Amino acid sequence: MPYYQTWEEFARAAEKLYLTDPMKVRVVLKYRHCDGNLCIKVTDNAVCLQYKTDQAQDVKKIEKLHGKLMRLMVSKETHSGSMETD
Amino acid sequence: MVLLENDSFLTELTRLFQKCRTSGSVVITLKKYDGRTKPAPRKGHSETFEPADNKCLIRASEGKKKISTVISTKEVIKFQMAYSNLLRAHMDGLKKKDKKSKSKKTKAT
Repeated sequence: MPYYQTWEEFARAAEKLYLTDPMKVRVVLKYRHCDGNLCIKVTDNAVCLQYKTDQAQDVKKIEKLHGKLMRLMVSKETHSGSMETD
Repeated sequence: MVLLENDSFLTELTRLFQKCRTSGSVVITLKKYDGRTKPAPRKGHSETFEPADNKCLIRASEGKKKISTVISTKEVIKFQMAYSNLLRAHMDGLKKKDKKSKSKKTKAT
């Protein structure tokens, strides 16, 4: 599966994939200090979305999405309206 | 896989990040968790298990060391603040902001 070139596209696709079946989706974050890169993967074992970066400014964005998905996972309603706001 | 409390998970995670500074990588997996501890029964068998839909499971691994924690609604805000600070503090091996990088990135396919 190819890497996404732009963050916006990736974030949108990742949220959409999560909302289709929250129970199946996992989010994987991989950080390599020695090579200085960070990779985020969102997959439900059928579709796999990936984004890779070596820019320090992307850490914030990735961490933000990570947190957003975490909050969605613990919120009781699976289809919360918060995703539609942006 | 060691299941830890939220606080001790964070301390262990810090240790994993320190360990990977020279070589290797840290992998963090985030997944929605319904509290199931036994496999789902086959068809025809009644199920007494009631899934809870307000938990999430975090696993982290570095090399052979693996840790995990379960987060519920009550703890999420507190945990997330500490967690995001930890991530931002430790993911510091990336390139600093470069204005030209954006155009470079789109070119490199």
